[in-house]
Amino acid sequence: MRTLTFALIVVVLVAAGAPGVAAHHSFAPFNMESEKTVSGTVKKFDWTNPHTWIWLDVPNDKGAVETWGIEGMSPNYLGRRGWTKNSLKPGDKVSIVVRPMRDGSPGGMFVRATLADGRELRQTGQPTD
Amino acid sequence: MRSTPTTVLTSAAAMLTMWLVAAPAHAQAPAKAAPTAADWAALAKLPDFTGVWEVAPGGGGAGRGRGTPQGPSLTPAAAAKRKELQSLGREDNQTANCVPPGMPGIMGQPYPMEFLLTPGKVTIVIEAYTQVRHIYTDGRPLPDDPDLKFHGTSVGQWEGNALVVDTIGFSPLTELVANVPHGDQMRIRERFTLTGPDTMSIETTVTDPGVLSAPYTTTRVLQRHRSWTIAEYVCQENNRNFVDEKGKAGIRLDDPAGAPRK
Repeated sequence: MRTLTFALIVVVLVAAGAPGVAAHHSFAPFNMESEKTVSGTVKKFDWTNPHTWIWLDVPNDKGAVETWGIEGMSPNYLGRRGWTKNSLKPGDKVSIVVRPMRDGSPGGMFVRATLADGRELRQTGQPTD
Repeated sequence: MRSTPTTVLTSAAAMLTMWLVAAPAHAQAPAKAAPTAADWAALAKLPDFTGVWEVAPGGGGAGRGRGTPQGPSLTPAAAAKRKELQSLGREDNQTANCVPPGMPGIMGQPYPMEFLLTPGKVTIVIEAYTQVRHIYTDGRPLPDDPDLKFHGTSVGQWEGNALVVDTIGFSPLTELVANVPHGDQMRIRERFTLTGPDTMSIETTVTDPGVLSAPYTTTRVLQRHRSWTIAEYVCQENNRNFVDEKGKAGIRLDDPAGAPRK
């Protein structure tokens, strides 16, 4: 079912002409059929090309803090869709849905995020003038 | 040493001689006259391509444009080559390492481009990978034996409200489409046409004897965004993606604010 849902999403995205992260690299390092939610505190937000990176301190089940690296679209792309370099700040509490790394490393591809105040961040949508 | 009139004269003579000897090596194109006020005024009569454009929603993005659903028709040799390359299971290509895709892929990126019109030339400033295409519209012919470039060598001419561009001479580091290396005779014809106040279509036809069994035509629709500016895109700024020699894709996940992992 997951696979079918993902296949449908891909078909819809392609049909809509929506570009993917694939413009710069493939999805191969990520498990695109899986979603994982990680919650923690923003350590750093890289507003850089070719991708933004959210570094999220996440408490693990052993009581230690693990830093997750979460890849997003570029500042050029996101900047035309409402994001700024201040969309996430160090210290922000946030839950982020990712497509996790296939090799189990603490990282993934950004899908969507929910901040403590309920604000939701997405990377999709049409550009604004 | 003091500069006496004699040494100055000798140096000047030496420089003049060097220039006279060196000059023919650079004189590949005939001397070009400076553009006149009339040349600049003539630009106003051309279709208005100015401004920043991006592939429109549904306009054929992700590097391919809208072509036949099955892609290009390949010769048996090229089809066999594609099968061989596909069987290698490469997970990514060199764009992951920040090598720009070149033509034709560079025209289908999810980033905008700006058209600049000056006398005898159209310049396309492409945001993705900070690339530039130079299209000469001054009537010069395509070169007989061009150096091989990521974007080839382009000349264009205005036909009514369309700009028709012919390009040849592509670097072997570029691909026609994924897993299809181009041949040395690949030729790309692009027809840029204004189709509305802020819409443009680009019809791209690729011919490549030995690789394509029929011309491969794709069409892409661009939307103009008058208020946009081209943003900086330095791929090496913080590129954590990579592909190795075997085609294995990976990500460098070392935490920039902490100790490197492993």
